[in-house]
Amino acid sequence: MTATLTTCPYCGTGCNFYLLSDDDGRLTGVEPAGQHPTTRGQLCVKGWNAHAFVDHPDRLAVPQIRRDGELQSADWQQALDLVHDQLQAIAEKHGPDSLMFLSSAKVSNEENYLLQKLARAGYGTNNIDHCARLCHSSTVTGLVETLGSGAMTNSLSCFDETELVFVIGSNTTEQHPLIGSRILQAKQRGAKLLVADSRKIRLAKHADLHLRQQNGSDVALLSGMMRQILRDGLEDRDFIAQRCENFAAFAEKLESYTPEYVAGITGLEPEQVIAAARLYAEADRAMIVYAMGITQHSHGVDNVRAISNLALLTGNLGKPGSGVNPLRGQNNVQGACDMGALPDVYSGYQNVADPEARKKFSTAWGCELPETKGLMSTHAIEAAATGEVRGMLILGENPMLSDANQGMVKKALERLDFLAVIDIFPTETAAFADVVLPASCYAEKDGSFTSTERRVQLGRKAAEPPGLARTDWQIICELLQRCGLKSDYQNPAEIMAEIAALTPSYGGISHDRLQGHGLQWPCPDKTHPGTPILHIDRCTRGKARFSPVDYRAPHELPDRDFPFLLNTGRSYFHWHTGSMTRRSHLLDREERFAFVEINPDDASQLAIFARQQVRISSLRGSITCRALVSEKVPAGQVFIPFHFTEGAANALTNNALDPESGIPEFKVCAVRIEPC
Amino acid sequence: MLKSLKREDLLRLLETLAEQYDLQVPLKLPDGTRQLGRYGSGELSLCGPLLQRKPTSLLFPQAELLLSINPDGSVEQPHPAEKPLALFGLERSDLAAIAFLDRFFLCEPADDIYQGKRENSLLIGLTGFAGENSAYLPPAGENCDLELIATADGWLGCAYSAAGKTLLAPFPDSEAKERTEIDQRAAEPKTDSLLKAASRLLREDKVPDAFWQEIADRCILCTGCNLVCPTCSCFCVQDRIRDGKTERSRVWDSCQLDAFMREASGHNPLGTEALRTRRRIHHKLVADVERWGEIGCIACGRCDRTCPTGIGMFAVVEEMINQFG
Amino acid sequence: MTAVVAKTSIYTPRSCRLLTVEQLTPQEKLFRLQLLDGSELQHQPGQFVQVSLPGLTEAPISIASSPTRTGDFELGVRKAGSLTSALHSLQPGAQIGIRGPFGRPFQMESLRGKQLLLIAGGCGLAPLRSLIQYCQDCRDQFASVQIFYGARSPQDLMFRRDLDSWQIDDNFSCRYTVDNKPADSCFDGETGLITELLNEVVLQPENSCAVVVGPPTMYRPVIAELRRLGLTSEKQIMLSLERQMRCGIGKCGHCSIEHLTCCCDGPIFWLEEVEHLRGAL
Repeated sequence: MTATLTTCPYCGTGCNFYLLSDDDGRLTGVEPAGQHPTTRGQLCVKGWNAHAFVDHPDRLAVPQIRRDGELQSADWQQALDLVHDQLQAIAEKHGPDSLMFLSSAKVSNEENYLLQKLARAGYGTNNIDHCARLCHSSTVTGLVETLGSGAMTNSLSCFDETELVFVIGSNTTEQHPLIGSRILQAKQRGAKLLVADSRKIRLAKHADLHLRQQNGSDVALLSGMMRQILRDGLEDRDFIAQRCENFAAFAEKLESYTPEYVAGITGLEPEQVIAAARLYAEADRAMIVYAMGITQHSHGVDNVRAISNLALLTGNLGKPGSGVNPLRGQNNVQGACDMGALPDVYSGYQNVADPEARKKFSTAWGCELPETKGLMSTHAIEAAATGEVRGMLILGENPMLSDANQGMVKKALERLDFLAVIDIFPTETAAFADVVLPASCYAEKDGSFTSTERRVQLGRKAAEPPGLARTDWQIICELLQRCGLKSDYQNPAEIMAEIAALTPSYGGISHDRLQGHGLQWPCPDKTHPGTPILHIDRCTRGKARFSPVDYRAPHELPDRDFPFLLNTGRSYFHWHTGSMTRRSHLLDREERFAFVEINPDDASQLAIFARQQVRISSLRGSITCRALVSEKVPAGQVFIPFHFTEGAANALTNNALDPESGIPEFKVCAVRIEPC
Repeated sequence: MLKSLKREDLLRLLETLAEQYDLQVPLKLPDGTRQLGRYGSGELSLCGPLLQRKPTSLLFPQAELLLSINPDGSVEQPHPAEKPLALFGLERSDLAAIAFLDRFFLCEPADDIYQGKRENSLLIGLTGFAGENSAYLPPAGENCDLELIATADGWLGCAYSAAGKTLLAPFPDSEAKERTEIDQRAAEPKTDSLLKAASRLLREDKVPDAFWQEIADRCILCTGCNLVCPTCSCFCVQDRIRDGKTERSRVWDSCQLDAFMREASGHNPLGTEALRTRRRIHHKLVADVERWGEIGCIACGRCDRTCPTGIGMFAVVEEMINQFG
Repeated sequence: MTAVVAKTSIYTPRSCRLLTVEQLTPQEKLFRLQLLDGSELQHQPGQFVQVSLPGLTEAPISIASSPTRTGDFELGVRKAGSLTSALHSLQPGAQIGIRGPFGRPFQMESLRGKQLLLIAGGCGLAPLRSLIQYCQDCRDQFASVQIFYGARSPQDLMFRRDLDSWQIDDNFSCRYTVDNKPADSCFDGETGLITELLNEVVLQPENSCAVVVGPPTMYRPVIAELRRLGLTSEKQIMLSLERQMRCGIGKCGHCSIEHLTCCCDGPIFWLEEVEHLRGAL
């Protein structure tokens, strides 16, 4: 039995484990790393089963080219030539910005870096994005404005020192289980727990106070809390005076958010708003933890601003056990952002519109680079639907299931002149591709991944890829070479050397230095030990900025025809579009069918019984799935996880976008339910 | 007869074993923990803290091929291992766990997959002053083929089987005549009395359902407690069809999962988190006593270390005794 | 080295040919099977087999025919999960895998000479049919045989032909009932819960033995009724419990009831063996 230490491919917590393989090279199991600082010998159920999908017979093992309407086996040379020729032809005919590149929060930093380089330097477009658009783009936009950095300010170890954890819009024990468990441990040792979530999540059972505010009313709730903090004199005046700007304008904006006004919007009692304000503000060190419940709204950036304001108001920044802590969803969504798989920045958030940054990259890469910022993925899908984007290369993403308004996505993918997909399984998106290239999963390659606490750590090869499949970085190198760019990287470590040279926050990072338990960026030079806590003494942007916000209602609320609010998200046992977890036996067995959570009162009114098939419809589509009658959701709301292609939540969701971050409103739309 | 071995004798013994067996020895892993691995494939770490990966996983692995079904319906068995297996460096609890699994898997009707592996394996205990920082590990006794007991200036070899005797034959006799001369084991470890007290509380029905609900509320369903437990033996079966051939394997399962006992109709005898949490503890402390006459927990502490929320066996047992004892 | 290359293991299925398929209810079919090597299954009433289909693993299915009827054996299967759904789509001639028979059968030595109350609900009639056929074939071993069967609705009644033949069999008394009858149904049998049928039973309690096989919700009310009839001693009420047996040999853990396993210690239990066990009934 061989044991290979690597990083978990699921959420952004960044757990490390050993992949165990037998004499035939097959993975046979997982063992958590005993001494790793976040893992500590512990894993969640997905981690314990992370070996299970790797050698699934469905793995893509041969390149495929669509001929006569069918995907047929091809050799690599043919397939790669076709991808390059098609992309180049479209760029020549319709301009480089008629191409779109979707990178992946599942692949390594090195691979994300190379793909954004390929888009920008190889095909001349800044049209590159990835699924952070669908999860934390609101965070990146909001926190860059207020603090100067869009990442989690503190470290996971801070949960051991905090006095209070305020969890809002994060089902932490299910979505970041090893962080959720740290919150439960903090609670056990005496820390306070404040939970704001419309669903009765596991953390809510342990909360000192659980607020079940209406989905989409977070700005009102947070503003009400902040107004109360000011009235009670619980703000940190020194911190505000010394570290912040724009306080007066912000404070003025709060005036109208009286507890009664807020109660009217949120559905809470006025006393709950006051109690929450006091609970949070009376703690010396309080951590705010948030995730998709905050970001996935048509006012997601405003939500993030309000959260940042709350932390600043109470001085909960730049010290242990405090901070603004967006929990990043994918194993490398932080890294994919860091690497510049975004339409407006190169690696290290260096702006493409900044002539100096452009010159730096243009010199390093030896070519001219486009000036205008590119399309966000959500806009690019819309542009594909209207024919403005004509060619697309998708690396390890599955927009057919993951993006809002599936009907529109389908139209977009169908209308493309050319679609290339690089993936490990035949996904719903790959079904539309003209070329499908078989890639390696996390267990079959080396590379670095950046966790939610900005910890850059290594993934290591523990098995051979199936059949002819290649690593993603090797595939991208083949295209770089066809574009006449540097492509002779011998290994991911060499790519990281190039990243470090061009990216100040990764300046001191090399694979050699990552051998232990990784390094937390910013790590500007080779002797820098990494940065567990951001914004100590000074914010990345200098002074922290209070950013006044006003409550705006969600784009689509329940009405007479569609009387239920649909909330979407993930379940504990599955991951995103299910391509890995639905092929992992124990995880699949646990949740094999698409389901909708419905409150018992609503179920009895609609004469729906447990496990019955029901039809759910919105303005955009209609699906059927099983009813899971549960107190977890409040009356008037239903919840559907988006993992299941046969009951796809995103056939229903609304692609109303936040005007700044371009994130869709996954957390609120209106639906109707009928027994089948 | 006890044998006396010096360090170089021990290394010679390892070489001999490696020739005849697929020798699995404690190796040091990159993060500092120890785990059994093939001799010669990593840094040897004979003495130290408890092996993190339960050694029983080499006899009953997390995933194991049972058989393959060809497209014509004929069935193939997996190839047997080329060499017999030798597990070297086990401490008392590891060996107790293997003895527990032996009794379980070999009782009629026997699991002949496990039996095949087990009959073809050699167990070597490593006890005495062989723990972390030379901490004392109580001798294991007859649950192994041979045992090496670390003393202040070498190793004392005790053979319990014919194979063990043959392996130790080349080494000189020891002056110590009885193993008990160096056996410093306390009358009964504290852990055992805690488990017994908790077992009694459960059998006397003094633990109300509300207690299980409270513990279950803190469970995030990682299943780690079951997966690291050396006496947990539950498995599920999975089929995968590859090129027309069906590979049927068994995979470690967990009674903490809702689908563990859920029937196709939806009926589930373990249908709540509280019932499943109760089963995890009750099975070891009561059901195993009923069935096998002894508590099924070997007190290794692995579940307490791997539980992210602090509700492993001993944490629960202590809470139970505090509240109801 | 003592390695023996085993040609088979206890997990190796044996091949069977599917001889006939009969639709029993909209949800249930009866499969008649024969081992390919021509041998008898050699089961006893109350036992089950693991049915294996490549790609879908296995499912435990109780044997619906009596070993006294040689040459083949029958399985009554409700379509519920993926394996049973696939089974339902098979045509005669198909090959399927079988392991077993497994489990503790009905305790014949305790039934012989007794007045038998054979009580089934829903698809519990499938395993009970094995015993009923045995009673038919060995009628003189039993003092009397009374059969009671309850189903949810007329269309859910399994083995209608058998039920009718048992009703006219001089050696048996057989009554069946449905919980509910749709208004437009032409069903002219009895309506009501199975416990209502038991109300009217006349027997000598000290020489009687009851066998109960049914859905989980049926056990407690039926047992209460049997107790009222005077079946209060040990070894008077026998139950067949259903669990998710995966291995059939007591190893996989999926069918455990506290310290017992349903696949080895059961599926047939005496009431007193399980009634005090949490979650058994």
